[in-house]
Amino acid sequence: MGVDRRLVLSGIALAAGGFAAWEYGPALFEGPLQFEPIDDPAGFRKIEGGDRSTAFDPFVGLSSQESDPNEAIAEARVRADICSALYGGETGSADVVPVASFSDYYCPYCRIQTQKLAEIENRSGGRVKVVWHELPLLGETSDLAAKAALAAKRQGAYVAFHKRLMKSAFRATPEYLRLLSDDIGIDHDRMVADMASESIQEELYDSAALAGIFAFVGTPALVIGKTVIQGQISDRRIEQLIELERTEGIDSICSTA
Amino acid sequence: MFNRLIHFGGIGVAIVFVFALSIMGARDAGAAVSDVHTSPAVEARIITAENGIAAGARSVSAALDLELRAGWKTYWRSPGEVGIPPEIDWSESENVKEAEILWPAPKRFRAFGIENFGYEKEVALPLRITLERPGDAVMLRAAVNLLVCSDICVPEIFELSLDLPKGGGIDAQSATRIADFAGKVPDDGSASGLSIAAAAIAKDTSALVLTARSETGFSTPDIFPELGPEVAFGAPDIRLSDGGRALWASVPILYAGPTLPELRVTITDGTVAATQTPDLTEDLPKPPFTLRKAVPGLGDVLAITLVAFIGGLILNVMPCVLPVLSIKLSSALKSGNQTRTRIRSGFLASALGVLAFMWALAAITLLLRSLGLSVGWGLQFQNPSFLSVMFLILALFAANLFGMFEINLPSSFQTRLARADGTPGHIGDFATGAFAAVLATPCSAPFLGTAIAFALAGRGIDILLIFTALGLGLAAPYLLVAARPKLVSRMPKPGPWMIWVKMLLGALLALTALWLLWVLVGVAGTRTAIFVTLGTLVLVAGFSSGRFRGRIGMSAAALLAIAVLIGPGFLTTPAPAASPVSATTWVAFDRSEIARLVSTGETVFVDVTADWCLTCKANKALVLDRDSVASALAAPGVVPMQADWTRPDERISRYLEGFGRFGIPFNVVYGPNAPEGIVLSELLSSQEVLDALERASSGSELTRAE
Repeated sequence: MGVDRRLVLSGIALAAGGFAAWEYGPALFEGPLQFEPIDDPAGFRKIEGGDRSTAFDPFVGLSSQESDPNEAIAEARVRADICSALYGGETGSADVVPVASFSDYYCPYCRIQTQKLAEIENRSGGRVKVVWHELPLLGETSDLAAKAALAAKRQGAYVAFHKRLMKSAFRATPEYLRLLSDDIGIDHDRMVADMASESIQEELYDSAALAGIFAFVGTPALVIGKTVIQGQISDRRIEQLIELERTEGIDSICSTA
Repeated sequence: MFNRLIHFGGIGVAIVFVFALSIMGARDAGAAVSDVHTSPAVEARIITAENGIAAGARSVSAALDLELRAGWKTYWRSPGEVGIPPEIDWSESENVKEAEILWPAPKRFRAFGIENFGYEKEVALPLRITLERPGDAVMLRAAVNLLVCSDICVPEIFELSLDLPKGGGIDAQSATRIADFAGKVPDDGSASGLSIAAAAIAKDTSALVLTARSETGFSTPDIFPELGPEVAFGAPDIRLSDGGRALWASVPILYAGPTLPELRVTITDGTVAATQTPDLTEDLPKPPFTLRKAVPGLGDVLAITLVAFIGGLILNVMPCVLPVLSIKLSSALKSGNQTRTRIRSGFLASALGVLAFMWALAAITLLLRSLGLSVGWGLQFQNPSFLSVMFLILALFAANLFGMFEINLPSSFQTRLARADGTPGHIGDFATGAFAAVLATPCSAPFLGTAIAFALAGRGIDILLIFTALGLGLAAPYLLVAARPKLVSRMPKPGPWMIWVKMLLGALLALTALWLLWVLVGVAGTRTAIFVTLGTLVLVAGFSSGRFRGRIGMSAAALLAIAVLIGPGFLTTPAPAASPVSATTWVAFDRSEIARLVSTGETVFVDVTADWCLTCKANKALVLDRDSVASALAAPGVVPMQADWTRPDERISRYLEGFGRFGIPFNVVYGPNAPEGIVLSELLSSQEVLDALERASSGSELTRAE
């Protein structure tokens, strides 16, 4: 057994190192950001080669209802002022970077991203503002969960709602909604009333119209300032983009401010 | 550590192999394949085993065939914490009464702390389609709602269509694919040999605890409980005992609703899986051993620590380490002019060197574990490669201790060791200790391997304790000298007694090697064991005759060793897939035999089946394997005869044609009262089978059987 032990040991070290690099490397060695502009809507851009979604057919509105007049109306409304539809008028101060988050109840990664974004917003001391959009793509439960999320948002519990959903599946039953509102400490009656309200329906149409305009194929999706991102993205990248958007400003898309 | 390298190699080979298979498996346009939906995430189509609907056929065996591109996944019927299973709407179809998805056993995905169950790369979801009008043409129109996720979740909504005209014939390629994945659908435990012994939910609904058994032993078990749509489960804590045959698992319940519906549990283990609905008991099953108790029994920890210490102590007399110790001792003897304090601190530094190496090993183990390599204790004893490595190492060292050949330290090490020892100051002493530990690795691999395997399953503190104890054992002579420097002069002189010690140790190692060989026979079969033994004998003979000298000799030895280690992977025939435990002993189909048997007064039950035939599987599970029918078929005077049509068989095809049938399932009962045979319907019922058996027989046998 005169095999050189150093060779064996360095082999093991190499294998372990290689494995670790393969596992964690991509997060550490992300290259510099390169952007490419998108044609529509004007002024926005995406990260070059940054998403796997480009070859998909752009998704076509909510579920299967074709030619819903409300969708056309919503698209016209949103097109008139993309910036406010996206960021809900959160563009007042030059110092605040707006972030629009699109999530769906059935998307596993969305709930994680919601919490990461909430943490970034909290840490920023008011210099990052996240605007929450719901993009229910998969049927009725998805749609009702989205309405409940938006109703929770109206009582300041959007993130708590998503955190609560991490533990159990959403059920569209009165008992479940009562339990849920108790758990996250919001007014149950107001939530149920809001879920059925015109304003939430309109908000969903607007979010869907935005998703159509930005050609989102799925969730999660983000717009940070004027950069459009589809799919999961690392915390580091998000922070990096926020800082970049802060220095560059978003006047090109939100000139009304 | 050595076997881990082998393991990496094995994965590489497996990847290449799978890749080659997937290329070979690329299909040409078959007749029974729908149009294809293609997206960047998935390629989807409907396939059917039958090219057409045979006269009288009531069902079609189909599948939703999905080829997912790298990184994309889709979900099981119970998707885990979030996600949605594939849904198919058949309402636009013609002549489809019902279509049931049979879910192949899922795989667990963990990402960002979320547990998901589903499929990657490829999956065919077998579909058992029953027809409204038997024997009539079918138009399959599948509106599929499929959620696929990679780093983005995309809902794919598409339609697939496939028309099946009247007629016969089997599409061999589609049939094989359906059969492959139908074979992955969990059974009720009868064929897979998996069963759930007990299940209970903790009073505070914090966890589901269950025990299960495998007749052939678990190797890579996983547990997928389902408790209604509301309850989400976390990652299970799975522990094996009884040689891997008994499983205990605790699955955290992340959230439980106010009411709990019926529990359904799917156990998977490699290629087999079973789904059962155990009754909940009051008492929580006790784990076979404890891993994470706040204080894991002080006695246990002490015992393990003591074993590790003794193991470390024994390492000192191993052929690799003994020279280091003697060099160190003799150098201390020679330099008589050193002060006692200098000797003491020098030896302490050496002991620290030993410990440093052990702590480094502990750190690596912790790292491996954090990378997700938590191997259950005892599992490695089911891995033929691990067993072969251990056998080889133990056999070689036993041979060495019997004096058949000498193990020489690489000369570069010896020089460096001497140089390090000459280095003034404690750095040299420290290096000596570290070297002793490094040099001990070839001899200590069996012990360290065991310790690492155990440590991987333990807590961080356990890992630290075990390795520290090992280090203290190995460093004991140095510590002893440090405590009583005078001892140096009283060390026993080398002499014939050392040969006896060596013989004793050799015998112990040889016994261990024999035990491992015995385990290997059980795991990988006699052929593998003979191969490994022969290879090892040649290696030992080569070393003892001195043929493995120089570069060429060493390369030859290394090649041979690698062959011995890799061989088992190829030779090992997968454990005989748990022979079906059905009560019925089927006789192979022989048409000419039927008439002869009937003429002697026997009743013959003919079952034409195939692996890809989903309705046949339903018949088997719901009727043929059930007690009343199974015992009727096992009764004297009844001959159950099975024709396997999985591969095209001219004799079986002609037999079916004789009845004007071109599809299966097909069952006929012959007897003295029905020499022409009573044809049973496609979807069997127990009553129908029993009635036919009674009508066909002369009556007497069956009344006896009842």
